[in-house]
Amino acid sequence: MSDAAAIEVRGLRREFRVRQGMFAPPKHVIAVDDVSFAVPAGSVLGVVGESGCGKSTLARLILGLLEPTAGDVLVDGQRLSGMDRRARARLIQPVFQDPFASLNPKRRIRDIVSMPLIAQGSFGRAEIERRVDEALDRVGLSRDQGTRFPAQLSGGQRQRVAIARALVLRPRIVVCDEPTSALDVSVQAQILNLLAELRRDLGLTYLFISHNLAVVEHIASEVAVMYLGRIVERTESEALFATPRHPYTRALLASVLTPEPGLGVPDVGLGDIMPDPANIPPGCRFHPRCPVALPRCSTEAPPLVDDAVGLVECHLVDVEAAPAHA
Amino acid sequence: MTALLEVRDLRVTIGSTAAVRGTSITVNKGETHCLVGESGCGKSISALSVMGLLPRGSKRETTTLRFAGEEIGSFGEKQMERLRGDRMAMIFQEPMTSLNPAYTVGSQMTEVLRRHRGTPRAQAVDRAAELLARVGITAPGLRLGQYPHQLSGGLRQRVMIAMALMCDPELLIADEPTTALDVTVQAQILRLLATLQKELGLGILLITHDLGVVARIADRVSVMYAGEVVESAPTAALFAAPEHPYTRGLLTCVPVPGKVRRDEPLGSIPGVVPRVSPGFTGCGFRDRCSQAHAACSGTIPRQTVSDGHELLCTLAPGWVAREAA
Repeated sequence: MSDAAAIEVRGLRREFRVRQGMFAPPKHVIAVDDVSFAVPAGSVLGVVGESGCGKSTLARLILGLLEPTAGDVLVDGQRLSGMDRRARARLIQPVFQDPFASLNPKRRIRDIVSMPLIAQGSFGRAEIERRVDEALDRVGLSRDQGTRFPAQLSGGQRQRVAIARALVLRPRIVVCDEPTSALDVSVQAQILNLLAELRRDLGLTYLFISHNLAVVEHIASEVAVMYLGRIVERTESEALFATPRHPYTRALLASVLTPEPGLGVPDVGLGDIMPDPANIPPGCRFHPRCPVALPRCSTEAPPLVDDAVGLVECHLVDVEAAPAHA
Repeated sequence: MTALLEVRDLRVTIGSTAAVRGTSITVNKGETHCLVGESGCGKSISALSVMGLLPRGSKRETTTLRFAGEEIGSFGEKQMERLRGDRMAMIFQEPMTSLNPAYTVGSQMTEVLRRHRGTPRAQAVDRAAELLARVGITAPGLRLGQYPHQLSGGLRQRVMIAMALMCDPELLIADEPTTALDVTVQAQILRLLATLQKELGLGILLITHDLGVVARIADRVSVMYAGEVVESAPTAALFAAPEHPYTRGLLTCVPVPGKVRRDEPLGSIPGVVPRVSPGFTGCGFRDRCSQAHAACSGTIPRQTVSDGHELLCTLAPGWVAREAA
């Protein structure tokens, strides 16, 4: 793949051993199963899917917080495994969902933001002060707010602190895991606008994880749809929203409730079987919930179609003519 | 239409915070009324005060609190206990915190009926199984014997709904019933609520922060801000011609696929929701409002925009259209 990829994952797989009880043998849960993609520098890959689909595990693998069972993660062309922790921190940084849980309540905002610089061990005091001021400025926090404690700030301001802390080492890549899900809509809009502005000004690359498809559509240039550990469709954002090809993507899009009165609540057609990562169905893993499944979907794994439109794993896409590129 | 629930001029103070400041809400039979707003605007507190479930140390005042034609504002705890779970039921955001982890689904569901109606156990179990099937749960017999942790989030919320329906309530108060669920499950639960309402003629007071949910399910919407209903209208009217600057701001903040280009910013409302103390006068939104002027610190008039569309604002109804012209 191209040298310009900021994040590249190849055949990434992660299993967890889950104990079933005192005497039953432990079970293997495959949270991420053979995932490969590349994110070009300066772009945004949105990852969507229901809870339990493996999107947060994927984020933690890319951040180096979890070791993959198999496969590789390359960040800025370098393999993550074996990379020094400090070098990794200079390249890639996280922003998590709940800013309250990820900020130390007993430290002042300035100290929280300076922590990554101190951990590097190579920055002088004046440089640390200068960089903290710059990061707080960037995210729209005042010097005065820097002297407060997390509990004295609002949810949106706390998320700004988390973003400042992620930026203070001037990384190339930021992994955002549900960064606005805990926020009110008016504050969510402020944070999304801030993230978009930072990406443009600093040339950042984002991996942006969210369960809210409307949010992902607004910020991501490309979208990956995950289902039980696999990426079942990955397409450039406009094309995915205009002509979704995988039945699961269609169901996800159908369940987005836009503020348009009179449309009612759509029937997404998924039935009431829930996906269980500990019991992945044979064949196509989506077939028990798929409204258009064929007999062979329950036995044969679908082929990977990789064409001009994008990438999709479904038996039906194989038979249907590929839709015209929107 | 007959008013099932009528609340007039509700005021709630909790410690030094005026959580609700003169809210009026009417829910008609067979109607869904949505209370929408951001966290801290007083929507949950309004609902809890109707049920008589306010936290200790809070003070409630109201000129009218009428349920099914009966004034319940003066009801004591004993009388409210008889109403709750029987003729008025409530479901909450996180079903795991409202279900008891130590008891099976069946024993929790039947308790409602045995307590309120003294129904014999076998009959109550039949009713529970019937309702689980009614809310779309396959194998209800199996589910009755299971504990809450053995169910998925969507199933738990269905159990909560079924439990709320055990005594055939007339009013259902739902506080963010789908916020903790996946979007796919959210759609299923909302469809279920809409169907049940039609069949049972329930009045629903639904609390949500999600304008998408409001647009798709509400007959009537009341937008709350800093403890007041700032705008209230039939759903179609509110979305077609919102008048209050806060309502207008909220609507521009919501990302809608295909509406705002990726490189353009979403609309946003600067600042945060204020905490208002009991002596506060004027409009609670004025510090964040782009239209604010001197009169906004005085008494704010409640105006009628059109039939059933009310506005609490100093701007004259129709200002948006006039400004655009």
